[in-house]
Amino acid sequence: MGSSLLSVAEQLLRDLQRTYSETKQIPDDLLIALRFVFGPCALQALDLVDQRSVTCVSSPSGRNAFQVLGGSGRLYTCFTSCHYCPCPAFSFTVLRRNESLMCKHLLAACLSQAMGLCQQEQVSDQQMTHILSGQTEAST
Amino acid sequence: MADILGVVFRRFASGTVTTDVIFPAEAEGNTLVLGDVNISRSVLFLAAVTAATDLGLKVLFFTQTPFQSLPVSLRASLPGLKLETLKNVKFVYVKTLEELAEDLASLHELASEAASPPSLIILDGLDHYLHGSRGGPLQDDLSPVAHVAALLHDTAAFLSQILQSRADGQGLCRVMVSFQSEDEGSRDSEALAPELLLSVLDRYLQVRCTLEEVKHDGEWRVYLSVMCPALVQQWHMVLRAGGALEFRPVFGGEQQILEQPEKSKQENERCGDNCSY
Repeated sequence: MGSSLLSVAEQLLRDLQRTYSETKQIPDDLLIALRFVFGPCALQALDLVDQRSVTCVSSPSGRNAFQVLGGSGRLYTCFTSCHYCPCPAFSFTVLRRNESLMCKHLLAACLSQAMGLCQQEQVSDQQMTHILSGQTEAST
Repeated sequence: MADILGVVFRRFASGTVTTDVIFPAEAEGNTLVLGDVNISRSVLFLAAVTAATDLGLKVLFFTQTPFQSLPVSLRASLPGLKLETLKNVKFVYVKTLEELAEDLASLHELASEAASPPSLIILDGLDHYLHGSRGGPLQDDLSPVAHVAALLHDTAAFLSQILQSRADGQGLCRVMVSFQSEDEGSRDSEALAPELLLSVLDRYLQVRCTLEEVKHDGEWRVYLSVMCPALVQQWHMVLRAGGALEFRPVFGGEQQILEQPEKSKQENERCGDNCSY
């Protein structure tokens, strides 16, 4: 997946952040652009945002991560500085097939952050270590 | 901070080097070192020592097994080396992928301590950890390799923020990972294709350093490349009889004398047609 498309996606998320902060709505042209750039997972990601499925967890060290509650009830931990999600769709369509920029969980995290709709949760540093290492996902 | 491998190449250069390893400002310095396990380990070790002694940086060096011997002689490479300067390098021996992920995930806890966090995180032999993971040898899941690479990236990004916020001014944390991809003939039929693994690693480690042995006589071609924007630099690396490693930049006219031109073709293809030397 080319870096040009990634730049387009980043610009689109910036546009969304600006527009949503002013109007609290997503205009049709931005919805069409989201669907065009991110494909079918755009609608699924917006559904996750609507359900407030994205939580930004923070620890006293200052470290942050996103936890996204998937449709199956499983929690997926996504990082803030780079694109990674432990879900099978990310592994297959993003990493293996290179057909999408993101899975619905990652996109939901990006959209929630841009729209200021992340839930906030404080955890201890040790809990953050468990979350980042993937141990919480392995045990769910 | 200059790219650490660039500092290593200049530090151990034969003669005066007028060219520098310059990467685009937007390229992150996280580096994947590809090549034979022994020489990759030696380059990582030299990078750790150079960062600790010349740049005064704190280094974390993750590896599965303690160093028994190296092709490179530290005393021959750095005759005036004082051993106390090596205290900036901390070796961490972790056996399994799960332990590695847990150790990497816990590094943010260092931010709460008064001492500075590391500025260079080195992981020796990522391929060994993947072979030893619970899923078997690199089976059909790319997630473990992506998880470790992304965790390294995210940890370095976080520690860079911490370093920048402190007064010491050394505001970047870099990652350096070595990986030996299996040859087509020797790998398990169920193992993941090397190019697929490398494409995943490229997402998180933007700089690639490929070490290709020339004629099996202690000489290597070193390809240092970034993808976006495309840039490749070639260096020549020689292991001298006394165990010292030497580097020199390779210029345009010399680039046709490769033993395995396929490797340089791969690097050129990875970077598109706009490679500059």
